[in-house]
Amino acid sequence: MSDQPQPPVFGTVRRAAASAYDWLFVGRSRLQQAVISLVLLAAVGLTVAGVFAPQSDAGRLFAVLTADSTLGATLRLSVPIAFAALGGIFAEKSGVINIGLEGLLIIAAFVGVWGTDATGSVWLGLLGGVLASTLLAGLFAVVCIEFRADQIIAGLAVWLIALGLAPFLSSVIYGSKNTVSVDTFPTLPQLGVPFVSDFVTAPLPVVGVAPVDIPFFGALFDASPPVYLMLLAVALSWYVLHRTAFGRWVEASGENPKALDTAGVNVHRVRYAAVLLSGVLAGVGGAALALGVGQFTGNGPTMVNGKGFIAIVAYLFGNYNPVGALASTMLFAGLDATQLTLQARDVFQVPTELVRTIPYVTVIVVLAVFGRTRIPSAGGEHYESGEDD
Amino acid sequence: MSAADRAHDLLGRLVHASAFERFLISTSALLLSVFIGALIILGAGRMTDCASAAYTIAVPGKFVTQFVGGSAVFSMGFCYDPFAVYDLLFLGALGDVLSNPLNGQFATTLAETTILMFTGVAVAVAFRADIFNIGVQGQLVVGALTTGVVLAFVAPALAGLGLLATVVLLPLGLLLGAVAGGAYAAIPGALKAYADANEVITTIMLNFVATSIALFLVSREKFFKDPASFANQTVPLPDVALFPKFLFRPRDDVSLLAFAFAVVVLVGIWYLLQHTPFGYDLRTSGLQPDAAEYGGVDADRTIVSSMTLSGALAGIGGAVYVLMVLGNFQTGVPDYGFDGITVSILAGNNPLGVGFAALLFGVLKSGSIVVQVGSDVPPTLVGVLRGLIILFVAMPEFFRMIGRKFGSFDRPSEPAVADATGGGSDE
Repeated sequence: MSDQPQPPVFGTVRRAAASAYDWLFVGRSRLQQAVISLVLLAAVGLTVAGVFAPQSDAGRLFAVLTADSTLGATLRLSVPIAFAALGGIFAEKSGVINIGLEGLLIIAAFVGVWGTDATGSVWLGLLGGVLASTLLAGLFAVVCIEFRADQIIAGLAVWLIALGLAPFLSSVIYGSKNTVSVDTFPTLPQLGVPFVSDFVTAPLPVVGVAPVDIPFFGALFDASPPVYLMLLAVALSWYVLHRTAFGRWVEASGENPKALDTAGVNVHRVRYAAVLLSGVLAGVGGAALALGVGQFTGNGPTMVNGKGFIAIVAYLFGNYNPVGALASTMLFAGLDATQLTLQARDVFQVPTELVRTIPYVTVIVVLAVFGRTRIPSAGGEHYESGEDD
Repeated sequence: MSAADRAHDLLGRLVHASAFERFLISTSALLLSVFIGALIILGAGRMTDCASAAYTIAVPGKFVTQFVGGSAVFSMGFCYDPFAVYDLLFLGALGDVLSNPLNGQFATTLAETTILMFTGVAVAVAFRADIFNIGVQGQLVVGALTTGVVLAFVAPALAGLGLLATVVLLPLGLLLGAVAGGAYAAIPGALKAYADANEVITTIMLNFVATSIALFLVSREKFFKDPASFANQTVPLPDVALFPKFLFRPRDDVSLLAFAFAVVVLVGIWYLLQHTPFGYDLRTSGLQPDAAEYGGVDADRTIVSSMTLSGALAGIGGAVYVLMVLGNFQTGVPDYGFDGITVSILAGNNPLGVGFAALLFGVLKSGSIVVQVGSDVPPTLVGVLRGLIILFVAMPEFFRMIGRKFGSFDRPSEPAVADATGGGSDE
């Protein structure tokens, strides 16, 4: 076999397969290998079933998974989680574990709707949400950095404050824990962006295939502005963290604050900047979440419903890399989107209450199987510059 | 031996001294929260519309102008009066307690206090082992659900036995809650011990899972839904299975027996933590994990067992909620678990302190109902206060700074700095 000349494509494929194998399996524990194999097998099985037996249960599940609306919903549901995860990366890399992301999302979601209602502009509402979230993050930063509070407890406090404050303000202003409905973001075709609008509405001329709408990935061109903002923010965050001086300071502030201090950079200032940035990012996510629906609902755990905590797992799973965080966010959001599509299409007679727990259970499994990530060595610790005392 | 004794004595004095400091910090945090809460009430009062201001700030104030004459230079009206709100919140919860100590509102306060004692001490036990059990809410739901469902099958058979049935069913119900809550908490405990999964996240996720599973089981008649009711709830338990209610009116859902039981549990846990080998292992693995391991403590097992104990206490809280307040299981369980976090933190994670903090929060919870009835201020205000209190208790350095500035509170040694960086393991 091997001494026969092979077409170059074949070799490329083999190399790609080998590196994929390395990346997926080498250096992992038995359990992790087993889980990865299981997921791969399931993916292959579903695809096979989808192609050859579209009427079987697995085939119908494949149809749900590959539906245009599923990718659309995945992107939409990714927005709050991805933004919160990006914020979490900055804060935690700088040495401040921000477990209050959930609270930042909640307050931004409410203020986003309130601001839109008051000003009539979705974008001003978004700005309002970002401001509110940044203020709360600022409070958290002062408490943690200036007053040396335990970061986990202070983060929980941020969550609980927002969990109380948002429904409180909503009740004061709108007489109910749920706000009135406001405008939502327009999609790109509605905005009339010339090229994209044509692209989505006109059928795609593919040779040999009847003119059809772009399958599955059509959702990429049909999304609302926050989705594109999210993709942009991921790219920018990656650039800032890995290619700029500020990124290096953030890294050093979490790994070795003393060295950063010695190099003449103020550790406290870097941490303030990182935490405030996490407020800005989570603010965009929270406001986009509420403005995507056009309403803030504040019953029980509010409409944010644990997304801030899922975001924490997303960036841990993504190993503090913005792109990795986006990938794992889309995994969790994809599960959520699948369960929404399942409910909407009524394909299987699955109880909605149990299907709804799938993302949460997945988070636990991911954390248990892949949870041994290395947090920054000075993460969670207070740093006091020597010359202050 | 004597060196160890001396070291122990020194440690004891340090703990004692920091307990006083902790009390000061908790009190200051509470006052500061109330003050910020008043500002929020005033702010909220500007955001809503009303015919006439309930509260007016004027400079110079009425007190001056009525003597000197003239009118205020600056005057601003607010729709909500913070003094009136706090009056309703704190004093309303007690009802007319001086003339009638058994009034309905005070009964509610006691009932809330009873359940918060369980959730508070559940959080405290985990905290002392340096574990953040944010899943007390979920463990309480699972405990309550198990108690409500199993007793619904067992109780009718024994209903004819009268007092004997109560003697059997009541401990059984509490045991069911403890086992279910403990088992549910053992999951994140084991995941933390053996898979390094952060317990803050797993317990929060399990809260969502518990709520969904409870809704699933209680909203379907083929499982445990009461067919005679439109609401999502299990069949009502017979009275013999519930906590007997004496002194208070039967319709006030409170039982002094349950309250007394809660107090006994708090003292029991305090004794367990301070005076038994298990408690010693738990506390040392919270304060000095490495030292504890060196001393022969199995850290992983301690994590699982302290989580299980914490969950069992939460589960008992759920059982008490079913057997004292509801009489069956219903979905939409109030936030007792999250209030438990505040109660524990306010009490410095001391089981005996939990009793007092629970009473304070029982007052707040019960008072929020009075606020809802007696004013236009949304009762979710208590939720805001809850978060503020945690935030301020979490920053002792702030109060130390103020204390140092005014010199009233100057102490040579600073034992609490160590535990401020120690990560939640208080004292």
